Amino acid sequence: MMMTKVEAIVQPSRFEAVKEVLTELGIGGMTISDVRGHGRQKGHTEVYRGREYTVDLLPKIKIEIVIPDNLVDAAIDAILQSASTGKIGDGKIFVSKVEQAIRIRNQERGVAAL
Amino acid sequence: MKLESRNSSLQDLFTEESARIQKQFEVSGDGKADLRDRTSLIDSVVLELWNDVTASGPVEGFCIAALGGYGRRGLFPYSDIDLLFLYEKEGREEFISKKAIAPLSQALWDLHLRVSPTTRTLAECGKLHRNNIEFNISSLDCRYICGDEKLYERLRTRVLPGMVVRESENLMQELTSLARERHQKYGQTIFHLEPNIKDGPGGLRDYQVACWLAQIAELKRSREWKEPGQLLPLPLRAEAANAIDFLDAVRCFLHYRQGRDLNVLTYELQTEAASRGIGLRGAQSASPGEWMRAYFRQARAILRLTTLFDEVPRTKSFWSRLRGARRSPLSSADFSITDGRVSLRKPDSVEDANVMFRLFEIVAQDDLKLMAETENAVQAALPRVQKWLATAPDLWMYFRKILAPPHAAAALRAMHRVGLLDLLFKEFRAIDSLVIRDYYHRYTVDEHSFVTIENLQRLASKSGDLDRRFRDILGTLEHPDLLYLSLLFHDVGKGMPNESHVEGSLEAVQGVFERLRLDSMGREMVTFLIANHLRMSATLLRRDIFDPEAVHDFAKAVGTIEHLKMLTLFTYADIKAVNPEALTRWKAEMLWQLYAASENYLNRSVDDQRMFLAGEDAKQLERLIPTGEDVVEADRFRNFLDGFPRRYLLTHSPGEISAHYRMYKRLGHSEADISITKRDHYYELVLATKDRPFLFTKLTGTVASWGMNILKADACANKSGIALDVVRFLDRFHTLDNNPPEIVRLKQQLLGVISGELDVSILMRRKFQPEKRPPKVSVQTRIHMDNECSSHSTVVEIVTLDRPGLLYDISSTFAEHGFNIEVGLIDTEGGTATDVFYVTQNGAKLTSARQQELQSELQARLQ
Repeated sequence: MMMTKVEAIVQPSRFEAVKEVLTELGIGGMTISDVRGHGRQKGHTEVYRGREYTVDLLPKIKIEIVIPDNLVDAAIDAILQSASTGKIGDGKIFVSKVEQAIRIRNQERGVAAL
Repeated sequence: MKLESRNSSLQDLFTEESARIQKQFEVSGDGKADLRDRTSLIDSVVLELWNDVTASGPVEGFCIAALGGYGRRGLFPYSDIDLLFLYEKEGREEFISKKAIAPLSQALWDLHLRVSPTTRTLAECGKLHRNNIEFNISSLDCRYICGDEKLYERLRTRVLPGMVVRESENLMQELTSLARERHQKYGQTIFHLEPNIKDGPGGLRDYQVACWLAQIAELKRSREWKEPGQLLPLPLRAEAANAIDFLDAVRCFLHYRQGRDLNVLTYELQTEAASRGIGLRGAQSASPGEWMRAYFRQARAILRLTTLFDEVPRTKSFWSRLRGARRSPLSSADFSITDGRVSLRKPDSVEDANVMFRLFEIVAQDDLKLMAETENAVQAALPRVQKWLATAPDLWMYFRKILAPPHAAAALRAMHRVGLLDLLFKEFRAIDSLVIRDYYHRYTVDEHSFVTIENLQRLASKSGDLDRRFRDILGTLEHPDLLYLSLLFHDVGKGMPNESHVEGSLEAVQGVFERLRLDSMGREMVTFLIANHLRMSATLLRRDIFDPEAVHDFAKAVGTIEHLKMLTLFTYADIKAVNPEALTRWKAEMLWQLYAASENYLNRSVDDQRMFLAGEDAKQLERLIPTGEDVVEADRFRNFLDGFPRRYLLTHSPGEISAHYRMYKRLGHSEADISITKRDHYYELVLATKDRPFLFTKLTGTVASWGMNILKADACANKSGIALDVVRFLDRFHTLDNNPPEIVRLKQQLLGVISGELDVSILMRRKFQPEKRPPKVSVQTRIHMDNECSSHSTVVEIVTLDRPGLLYDISSTFAEHGFNIEVGLIDTEGGTATDVFYVTQNGAKLTSARQQELQSELQARLQ
């Protein structure tokens, strides 16, 4: 069976909800990183005590999962449902093929290593 | 019998005996017995081999001694076996080596024992080996095993004492310097998720160093060897002995479980040790959290011995020696402070509570350490302090002086260590060494509370951009001591049976309030902070902080700018104190963004948030009406509050509102009602009068003309046009402090100015003396105008260098243009004034042309 990597950039406030639905699908293993960036939701300028400051990179959480192909559609749907607020800045999902996965402890390969 | 054939029978004996000792440990959990039996086993093996090598003839002028842990009969299952091959003088090495050392070492290696042999002449043992100081130190534990007994006696009674007496200072300095390096390696703390129980702070090595120091001091004094454990200071001895029994058992367990000399108490092995009750009385099984709590208590007992390390003078340069010990200017009639350590001139002086609290106050000010004898004196005086507490008039007055200085955490730790903190606040005992065992919380709950306070106080020395922002907030707090008090008790509920630890902490802190006799304002602030201490981090992670709705909800729950500042710093300190990596830059930035957005919201929406009887605030206003008032009086009270900004209720206590209402009632008989009250370090002036043009200018001008420095001001008016202005000012020249009747004259002059009998501009010209000295800081003037954030007014935010008369200049500029100040929020932080005004002209916002005009006028006047 082939494997796919799904990277989702989501709002920090939606992370718990996304994690919950992925766990419900049986996807327990994931890598989480605190990231900053912007897409079309550019930064903006704020004033604090008379001084202007620019919020050019917005905080987001990146979730990376590598899953068997038969789970990909369900995982993407789950992320879309749980991460969406309908507003600009909800994030993105990137999907890419994975050639091989190897468990370092026992050198298991392929889907067995996930 | 040949040595080779002896080996196999010895191997059998060793294996069999080792297994028996291990089995005995598995059953009894008695680490000390294991060490003793293992030492005896190795002794008998060495003796057997010695008998074999000397069977063919005696070896003169040679003996074997045990060193280090083996020497003190404390040999752990997989520790090295330190042996000293001692011969009388040079010239016979080859013979002795061939005859005894080589075959004996070979046989021990064949038995798979980890032998660490050292061959020395008697003369070499009497020298200090700076490149191998470990040898000199291990010789302090030497013990005779076999061979020339007289030779050993010469080593023990003459050579070693001679070397120790001669080199005592060097030995002590080397020992303590090695201990400091070791502590440095472990981050100077006993708190690790997986502690090293041998080398980490509070580990077995620290106990040994304390014993060696005591032994060296004793040899120097009497030239006699004593049992080192009995030489430790009496108050620490029993606790340390219990701790060593515990740690001995744990180290035996770690060795047996891993089959190697590995001394890190890993997370997994903590669970196993707990289930087997290792080191606990009766080997009772415990939860991993409870077992680790016992571990940290024992480690802390050992760590107390390290106060003895500090009493060894450090290596000094020639010039430092010439200059002598550094005596602190903080030394006084009660305390002597030398090289950062404080001792009492009279040990029983701490029975006086004033001296006791002053002692910890100077620790908090200067990051001092208590000498061991000082700690003992404090402990001995605790029963007296307990009696004093029963009648203590103002414990908060004493305690806040310890919380405020820059090293409060060090003082609180010392108070906790000697039992004073627990005596003052029994609530704190619930979290003594309490472990939150999730591989994320690095510190025990009591230490976490100290680290939170330390995190804020360390902001003063931080230079990073983000840290500087939080430091700036800290510098503006009115009552940082209340923030520290809240941090100290915010998690005591974790040691209580309540379902939610926040509820537990709130219940427990009521007792703290009573004992401190804290005023209602202090109680309100501490209660708010503890009750809401998880709110900000929850908002950061569960809400979109860039969504105005989320900011609005959060800011509304927080209520006031002072609450917001305190809660932001609380959250910063609390997250950072979970473990050193918990507050990532990412999280710190989010925290600051939420703070800035909420601060802006609270400052820029006050004009839209007014209380109206006819609106949704009716119920809230009803609750404020004092009970027992008749209908007419209740209506009058409602009219007084109708139309005030909502923040008025949030920033004033019911007592203050009631006092303001009394002023409002008196207005029927006079032009204005004024009260001036002395607070901590400033005066508070409240003015109630009918709102009129130039009112704020007249008020600030009169106060400035008296040379007062205005720190804060709030100006607002109700629906019926009654203005209530509150000004806090600093009496720079102590005019009112030294001449209380002048307060009456200031009030009269202000009344004259308000009624128009006196001209404030003349007062300013006659009496106001501008600063002659140039300012110490430079602040670039920034003026920001916003027509968006209020539906009625233009918000003018001015940041500029503070100076006497500044507010008069700003407000008279508004007045001269015919602008009305609807609300004024004046704040001074260090040398920077940050003033926010809600301004209207003819009841409407300023047009952009008028804004530009005002901007250039203000810029010109504030240059």
